[in-house]
Amino acid sequence: MAKIVPRPNLSFWEQVYFVEIFKGLVTTMGHAIRNITGQTKFPTVSYPEVQYDLPRDYRARHRLMKRPDGSPRCVACFMCSTACPARCINIVAEEAPDKHIEKRPVRFEIDLLLCVFCGYCVEACPCDAIRMDTKQAVMAGDNRADFVVNKESLMEWKPTDYPADDTQSQKAPGGSLHAQALDEFKSGTYH
Amino acid sequence: MQNFDIILTILKPLLIFGLLFQILPLLVLAERRGAAIIQDRPGPNRAYIAIPGLNLKLRGFGMIFNLTDAVKLLFKESFTAPFAHKWWYILAPAIPVVTAILTPAVLPWFAPIVHKPDGGALQVVSGQIFDANVGLLLLFAIGSLSVYGVVLGSWASNSKYSLLGGLRASAMMISYEVSMGLSVLGLILLVGDFSLTRIVEWQTTHAWGILVQPIGFFLFLTSMFAECNRNPFDVAEGESELVAGFHTEFASSKFMLFMTAEYLHVLLASVLISTLYLGGYSLAPFPLPNPFGAQGVEWVVLDTAWIQAHLGLVGGIMLIIGGGVLLLLSHLVSVHKRAYAATTATDKADRVKEFSLFSGAFMFLAFLSVAGGAFAIACGAPTPLSGVIHEAKPVYPLWVGIVTAVIQLHIVLGKTLAVAWLFIWVRWTLPRFRYDQIMALGWKIMINIALVNLLVTALIAKLIK
Repeated sequence: MAKIVPRPNLSFWEQVYFVEIFKGLVTTMGHAIRNITGQTKFPTVSYPEVQYDLPRDYRARHRLMKRPDGSPRCVACFMCSTACPARCINIVAEEAPDKHIEKRPVRFEIDLLLCVFCGYCVEACPCDAIRMDTKQAVMAGDNRADFVVNKESLMEWKPTDYPADDTQSQKAPGGSLHAQALDEFKSGTYH
Repeated sequence: MQNFDIILTILKPLLIFGLLFQILPLLVLAERRGAAIIQDRPGPNRAYIAIPGLNLKLRGFGMIFNLTDAVKLLFKESFTAPFAHKWWYILAPAIPVVTAILTPAVLPWFAPIVHKPDGGALQVVSGQIFDANVGLLLLFAIGSLSVYGVVLGSWASNSKYSLLGGLRASAMMISYEVSMGLSVLGLILLVGDFSLTRIVEWQTTHAWGILVQPIGFFLFLTSMFAECNRNPFDVAEGESELVAGFHTEFASSKFMLFMTAEYLHVLLASVLISTLYLGGYSLAPFPLPNPFGAQGVEWVVLDTAWIQAHLGLVGGIMLIIGGGVLLLLSHLVSVHKRAYAATTATDKADRVKEFSLFSGAFMFLAFLSVAGGAFAIACGAPTPLSGVIHEAKPVYPLWVGIVTAVIQLHIVLGKTLAVAWLFIWVRWTLPRFRYDQIMALGWKIMINIALVNLLVTALIAKLIK
């Protein structure tokens, strides 16, 4: 059945069209004046020089968290690579010198071309060793090998780029508040 | 100076063409920047020239893009489509440019310069390059030839998109020439002369065309939009339907010629509108009343003689207005400098440096302009040559005539740029009309209004006379 679209019911002044043209001109001139006097903030930015500030929980390039001595917090439990739907995480484990930690990664590689940035690895990690809060949404490389990032590359991040009051990070194994958190956990006051 | 008229006859074409081709890049920049500021965008800012010694990247608010465009279009391969009719294909882009270059010959850029060489007879040097009695007719005749470029280009391209664009363009331009001619006839009827200098003189002594012929002005403006193939009448190159219309198959310097012709047409249409309806080089829209005259209220006609009698004042005020505009520009540049300095851009230092440079330069020029204006006002009026009278007006030394011509040229250019902004402004406001709507508007509405306007004007003119 055909749908009949009724003609818009225009008033006399709308049919004359000149008045509507004048209204349109006033609108565009208003924009022009506001922009040329610098009163508006453009919805666009001059991209490579200015970039939008991504929210901290935007799922961007991964990073590996560190212990106070600089070694990775990762215990090579393979939870992340098991959870990964794209199978882009490749871990090779070895025995750790610390008996309480048991294992540590020799190699920790993520193929960013395979990665779908779902964040399941971050969810799966039992010790908050992998995060996706680097805000690096744009990655560039000359060849495919450049996109396979290794353990060293994943641990190259500056602490100054991240919020200092991140208590969850401090309470995770290796964090400065970890011992206090363990005590709280034993006494039942851990929240 | 004995041979002044010969020198000026040679200089005038060079001056006017040089001027037009200097304004052309400004117009292209105004189009891009105007589009940006209307559409809430930053606008052209990528191309720059790095100045090595100063560690400066000169962007010129997007002016460098004209240079890059020219370089790109000139050095691209001049490709001729294998299916095109080669001879007409090469000839076609030249036609609109040639007609556009011929048009300013009959436009009056300043009032005739009257001067008397030592021991010689009076010389009158016209403000037109070619002082024709049938000025306006000649202008329309040359202007209507430009449609041949479009038609020939589209036909020679041997492509269906081009052909459709050319067909639309030819039909539209021929239709709107009727209403253009009819709408300007009302003014011709009142003036009684086709000479554009006479039309401007009539407007100086009576009133501007827009005041005596407001309906004629709107009709003429609309027809001019159509003649220039500008929005909302740019169906000839409707991108959404016809790729690029009549110049789809043209590239490199041939495309550049079409582009140049388009902007030249906009510029010349602006000059024509300001000459016919905004008083050309006349100062005021109508003779101003002076309540302190000898016999009560006197009507002062601000014509060439008045400008020459108050040369210092007029020139000074124009310089001070120019200084004010420059000061405003300087202020706007510094506003944008502060805004850019507040961002987190990585090229902040470069851009802020350039903004500071331009802000300072505009400030300096504004200072020079205002100082020159004050100096001109202090100099006062020149003294006329004793005992020399031309058409009941005193005759001044040659330099006064030249300064007056320069002032009048700037008045024309100011009005022209205002109308050219109207062209750009309308382009980024209105959507493109449908083709049948354009035809209906042209044949069923505009010609009728123009005829009624002509009839009413004729009746009123007869009754008053």
